[in-house]
Amino acid sequence: MKRVAKEKKQGRVFWGGNLRKRDLIGWGLMFPSILLFIFFVWWPLGSNIGLSFFSSVGFSADKFVGFANYETVFQDPIFLKALLNTLKYVGWSLLIGFLIPIFLGLLLSEVVHFKGFFRTVLYFPSMISGIAVVIMWSFLFDPNAIGPLNAIITAYGGTPFRFLDDANWVIPLIVITMTWRGAGGTMLIYLSALQTIDNSLYEEARIEGAGFFQRIRYVTIPHITPTIKTLLILQIISVFQIFYEPLVMTSGGGPNGASESLMLLAYQYAFNEPTRASLSSATSVILSVFIVLLTLIYLAFVSKQNKKEPQNA
Amino acid sequence: MLEKTQNYFSKIKKDFAKRRIEKKVERKEETFVGKKNGILAWSDYRHPAAWVAYGIGISILIIFVFLALAPIFWLFVSAFKSTSELYEIPYDFWPQNFSLMKIVEVWQYLNFGKYFLNSVIVAVGSVAAAIFFNGLLAYAVSVVKPRGYKIVYALVMLSFMIPAVANLVPLFKEIADFGLIDSYLPLCLAAGANTFYFLLFKTYFDSLPQDLFEAARVDGAGDLRIFFSIIVPLSRPIIGVVSIFAMTAAWSDFLLPYLVLQDDAMKTIMVKIYSIQSTIATSTEFGPDRLLMLLCLSIIPQIIFFAIFQKQITATSTTSGIKE
Repeated sequence: MKRVAKEKKQGRVFWGGNLRKRDLIGWGLMFPSILLFIFFVWWPLGSNIGLSFFSSVGFSADKFVGFANYETVFQDPIFLKALLNTLKYVGWSLLIGFLIPIFLGLLLSEVVHFKGFFRTVLYFPSMISGIAVVIMWSFLFDPNAIGPLNAIITAYGGTPFRFLDDANWVIPLIVITMTWRGAGGTMLIYLSALQTIDNSLYEEARIEGAGFFQRIRYVTIPHITPTIKTLLILQIISVFQIFYEPLVMTSGGGPNGASESLMLLAYQYAFNEPTRASLSSATSVILSVFIVLLTLIYLAFVSKQNKKEPQNA
Repeated sequence: MLEKTQNYFSKIKKDFAKRRIEKKVERKEETFVGKKNGILAWSDYRHPAAWVAYGIGISILIIFVFLALAPIFWLFVSAFKSTSELYEIPYDFWPQNFSLMKIVEVWQYLNFGKYFLNSVIVAVGSVAAAIFFNGLLAYAVSVVKPRGYKIVYALVMLSFMIPAVANLVPLFKEIADFGLIDSYLPLCLAAGANTFYFLLFKTYFDSLPQDLFEAARVDGAGDLRIFFSIIVPLSRPIIGVVSIFAMTAAWSDFLLPYLVLQDDAMKTIMVKIYSIQSTIATSTEFGPDRLLMLLCLSIIPQIIFFAIFQKQITATSTTSGIKE
């Protein structure tokens, strides 16, 4: 209260309002960062939405065409394929990549021996640059008999596998490389959630004679459910934006578009010949709408959770 | 009057140190025989079944460690093979010889030092921009709170939802219009408009006791004074965290650098690797064995960086709860 009074005394009448010195300093401090946000985020965002309603020459807007770009995009068979594939990526990543980090987090929270070693090593792949990881795995997935993984398969009497050249397998295999790189980081988040569980809950369960699986079922799982839901949505959002894995591993969505994704398509519309910048903008607007919807679901969930928390505590 | 602030300041510093010591003690107490917490406590290990389960758990972890490390191990071993060795049947895991000359050869052929230096420039610039711009913005939003700051805050949070790559075309055009193609400036400054770093800073500043700022204000310190004499010294941990994130991100980033850096002499390591990889099928002089060695060379700095900061890195990715 005192401060408010003091500030009122200091304040000068300016443009019909009280402009405090703090406001000036505050805006002065924010100004350079705001400029950067305008340059890198807000202006591109606005002009991207704008461009999606115009025809384009090169990267510049030409004539207003309304929703024509969206119609063109929706009629493009590649777009439908990319949309379907993006959903496939999400599906496979939930199947392959969702449970592994939870499982590893559980194991790691129970283990006492070499705990630090396990934690560090399992996180290690997350540290390596995505491009390097993806190129490394394309070598491992060499479809010829001389590829390292095929060498293992043939050594055990199998026939060489076509890996990324196989349209049915390309998406799950790309998801495996994503999981290989990402699981460690997610595992750490689960681990920290598991470590916040109040130990007296376990003790109580123990006294009441709950067995190992019952303890997991009634103590562990309920406690980490919020984390599980949060990471589930974050995973869906991030896989929705899958881009450079197919760009590098299948040289831009091959074989025959089987690994094409929405983001990759947006990139290809713009930077492959012929340049169709408007179509790229329309595609990324569609993609952004999907992601904003998912984020809103996520935020709604988080705020619901925050409301619940006081009751639990 | 100023003394009061200083006393408060040193008290908080002591609190921080104390908390750190307490954490260390906690960690030391965690031994197997006295294992108290978790699903299975020491008392459960009277049953042989628990021991079996523990053994299975450890074995599974060892399998996952193998899965995590084997590809990297393969990469580092195979990088020493020649192209003909790579295509040899039957497959031999080990190369015929580990000639260190191969490293020198690839390094010199590519003039690798140049790209390495470029990457370092971008990384250092990004770290500086990430700390300076996001830190200032977070300080203004969290502590100074000038009138109307909520609008800025909402807009910054809004950009969290928009996938960065989605606005690539207009951003690229903008950079070209400003004549910043083949410049490191946009790459470094891009790290200064990052909602994630901003949030890390803001959360940290929010967690600092507001009484401290009040006390300083009563002492007559202005907002700038508070920033330099209280916030900056107390922010060393969070500056470290953001530096680590920004450093790794800048080193690994490739899409924006790939579009912006068109002159070969300006390319960063990752951009160079991608441009080599995308033309390798048609290239006769740069064989796949050299690409493997190049991958190793690009990863080694990250491994060293991880080895130095692994404690901070694993701790922060745990607490922040947000992936890159």
